[in-house]
This record gives sequence, structure tokens and C-alpha cells, in this order.
Amino acid sequence: MALSRALAFDGVAFSYGNVAALSDVSFEVAAGERVALLGRNGAGKSTIVRLVTGLVHPDAGSVWIGDWDTADLAPEDLARRVGSVFQHADQQLFARTLREDVGFGPRALGFPAREVRRRTDEALDALDLHAHAEQHPYDLSPALRKVGALAGALALEPSLLVLDEPTAGLDRAWRARVADALREHAERGAALLVVTHDLAFAAETLERGIVLDRGRLACDEPLERLLTSAERLKPLGLVPPPIAALSVALDLPGRPVRERDAAHTLARVAGGRSAS
Amino acid sequence: MRTLGLDDVTFWYPATANPALENITLDVGPGDIVALVGRGGAGASTLLLVAAGLAPRVTGGRLAGTVSRGARAGIVLPTPWTQLSGMAFTVWDEVAFGPANLGWPGHAITRHVDHALERLEIVPLASRDPATLSGGELQRVIIAGILAMDPDLVLLDEPTAELDPEGARAVWRLVRSLAGEGKAVLLATSDVDALPDVADRIVWLEQGSVRAMGEPSLLAEDALCEAGLGTTVADLWRAAALPAPYPLTVVDAVQRWR
Repeated sequence: MALSRALAFDGVAFSYGNVAALSDVSFEVAAGERVALLGRNGAGKSTIVRLVTGLVHPDAGSVWIGDWDTADLAPEDLARRVGSVFQHADQQLFARTLREDVGFGPRALGFPAREVRRRTDEALDALDLHAHAEQHPYDLSPALRKVGALAGALALEPSLLVLDEPTAGLDRAWRARVADALREHAERGAALLVVTHDLAFAAETLERGIVLDRGRLACDEPLERLLTSAERLKPLGLVPPPIAALSVALDLPGRPVRERDAAHTLARVAGGRSAS
Repeated sequence: MRTLGLDDVTFWYPATANPALENITLDVGPGDIVALVGRGGAGASTLLLVAAGLAPRVTGGRLAGTVSRGARAGIVLPTPWTQLSGMAFTVWDEVAFGPANLGWPGHAITRHVDHALERLEIVPLASRDPATLSGGELQRVIIAGILAMDPDLVLLDEPTAELDPEGARAVWRLVRSLAGEGKAVLLATSDVDALPDVADRIVWLEQGSVRAMGEPSLLAEDALCEAGLGTTVADLWRAAALPAPYPLTVVDAVQRWR
């Protein structure tokens, strides 16, 4: 086993009763890697999140978090390594203030008060939430509650962060803030596994795309290549995000998929055209 | 003729001093698709609750001004799992819950439920237990349940948040076809890139007030891009310091580039 492995699925199968959700799924995610988990509704993405967080266990095969086999571990054991935000993050908040909620994870893991405070402050900082720290979570807008749940996951300082649709319902400014916080977290060595339909967000934030199709691994490759190929995306139920589509349509050099790269390339090419 | 009319509406949630909506005047007529855009907390969800008659009746709080609704309204909330009846063990029964509560005869319920399942392309889910569905499947079931009641005013709050890109496109096509049948549609979405092909009118909300209202080309204006509410393509054009007016969509950009 490579020491830097944060997550591994090894021949995993899982069914809900007689409805098969995953069949023979194998992949690894290294420390610091930023991975998008893509695919149609019902492809099995959220089931992967449930397996990684220990809410369910595989019918066959193994799920490894670093060198821990999850087979015998409960969610509270896995919380020492895995931070997660579920699709309906509203359900994850329950304390009287956002600050208390964000500090709940480290407190439950038994860290001393000073360490809980440091982690809580850093997580609130990372997402620019200090102005809302003393508010009741249910006085916050749904978007802020969602970002608050992400702060709670960051405060665990997990080696693996698993997020299910972290940007659904967020405006562009919040999406950009979440993207920055996630990139910073990965730079410190954490692996990211992000379930998302928001391919524009994936392009800006993540580097590798794993696509599930009807419970099977259909594709695993760099996002830059995948997102600029409409023909490959279509049978998987995916559509290139606007920047990738524009890059291809305008035949921009290097086919950039991130806004900053595309703006730079566009400005350069436009400058060259007006000069000639 | 208008299906929904808000005249100078101000709304306060319970125990709050600042209104969540302030002096909103808005008309939505048959066949109109009006899209609310704004930063998180700008008031779009609250406006939909007011339009549905749920605020203040269910949420509590206080409303000033006049809301007139000429017809039956149906609302799809941004959190589909909270909208399940909890009374149905199959998707078919879930979709039938609303029509059954309207007291319709059995044959009318069957016709409307079957039609709604077809329109949302979820006929294969009809016998599934709603509790076993994925988020995206559930979102389609909830939309079907609302359409099965045949509302004249359709209110949609982030109707594609849980959907994959194919599913989202299908819902936006459905919205166009509902408007084509004469239904009035008022929606809120953070997917502004979808709006140029969907909406007739854009309403930009900021801190509970209407900041601007106009055609979808509004989404390529400097002020909206500055607020993070422009389309991705308009925003990119602006970031590249290319001259305004910015293109709205990939198709516009390609034409402009030639």
C-alpha cells in the first residue's frame, strides 16, 4: 500500500434490498488529490459517500481510509479521518450558534478547548463566516447553512473530505469561496472527493474526474481532458460546462476549462487578432 | 390579465425588525416565465413563499401590501425531501397525493398522475418506494406531484439543484412547455446560465428589494456580472477585458468572435 493513499475502493458492490447501487467499483485517491465524482442521478455517487463515511458497509469488496478497512468501523471512528457534508446539509446543523456547531466535531473527538477554538476559528476564517458565528443556524439562509456545515467538516481537519453537492443553491461568490477553501485544504495534504453536478465548479476546483454509470466505474481521467470532450460526456449524461464548451467552440489554445485561464487566453488571442 | 400580482409587498419574518422583502411590485401573467436572481439571502425564496400564500400563513410573520392570485398555485420547494407527503409507499401514490386531496374523481387523478409521470420521464419509478430514491429522482417526483394538481401558477425554487445536467435540461424544457400551455411560471435559480434560453423576464433581487427587472440580456450587464449574477460567458468576456456588450451564451460568443 502506498503511504500517501487516502482512500481506496477495492471491488466494491452494494445493493439497497434488490436494487443494485454499485458493482465491482475500484479506484484509489492519493493524499492531496482533488477528485470529482460525476454521473447521472442514481448512478451510485451518494452510495459511495455513505460507504466512505461508514453509514453503510460493502456487500462485497473493501473500502479503505488510508490503512483502515472500514468493514469494522462505525461513522464516529471514521470521523477521525473523514469529514463529510451531505447533500442536504441543513440536517447536519443542530447547535444554538454556528460557532458551537462548527466546534462540535473536534469537541466530540475529545480535543482540548484551546484546540477546539483554534480549529473552529480557522474553519470560520476559511469560509469567511465570522460575521455569522454567533447566529442560530436556522436564522441563516439555506446557502449559509450549507457553507456552515462545510466549516464543521473542515474543523475536523480530516485527511479525506467527502462532499455531496456542496454548491447546489449557492451563488457564484459563495461557490468561489468554497472553491478557495477546498483548494487550501487540499494543499495541506487532504484528499477531496466531491460529488457534483456542477461541472463549472468541478473545473475550477478539482483535477481528476471519476464518472459512474449505473453503478459501475465508466471513466477516470484528468478533468481538463474529460470536460472538453462533448462526445465522451454525452453518453454519461454530462454536458460540458460553459467555459469548456466555449474553449472548444472558439478553438482556444490549450483548451482552458477554468475561468481565469480562459480569460487570459481569450484576451491574448483577441489582442493578437486586433494587431493583425 | 395577470395570474399573480404583488403590489408594494413588504414582508417580515417573525421576531425580525428588518423586512425580508421590501416594496415588491411584480406581475406574472399566463404564459410568462419570470426568473428571480440574487445573492443568497436576497429574498427569492421568501418571494416564492409569499406568492404561494405560505408566507405569512404558514411561516408566520407580517405582510404589508397586496398579493392577488387569480388561480391555483403549486410550489416546488428547494428541499424536495421536506415536501414528501410521508403517506405514500409508491411514487405513483406520492404523485397522486395532491390530486386526491383536491377531491378529484379517481379517473381524473389517474389521468393527471400518469401524464405528470410521463412529463417528468419517471414512469419507470412509479412502483418504487419514495424513501429509496436518489435526490435527483426525488426532485422529479416532487415536481410531478405539483404538476399533477394542474396549477395555473407554477412556483419553482431551485428546481434543478438536485438534478444531473440531462435532468436539468429536461426540467427547463418542461418549464418552457408549461408556459406554452398558458401557465404562469415564477422561479428562482442559481443556474443563471440556463436562463437566457428559459426566462422571458429577469428580476434581480438585492436585500429584499427589486434592483432591476428586464429581458435576459440583463444577465450580461456589467452590474450583474459585478454582483456575481451574470452568465459565465458574460463574466468571462468581462474578465478578459473584451468590450461590452458582453455575449450571454456560448452561441452568442461564437457569433461575436467571428
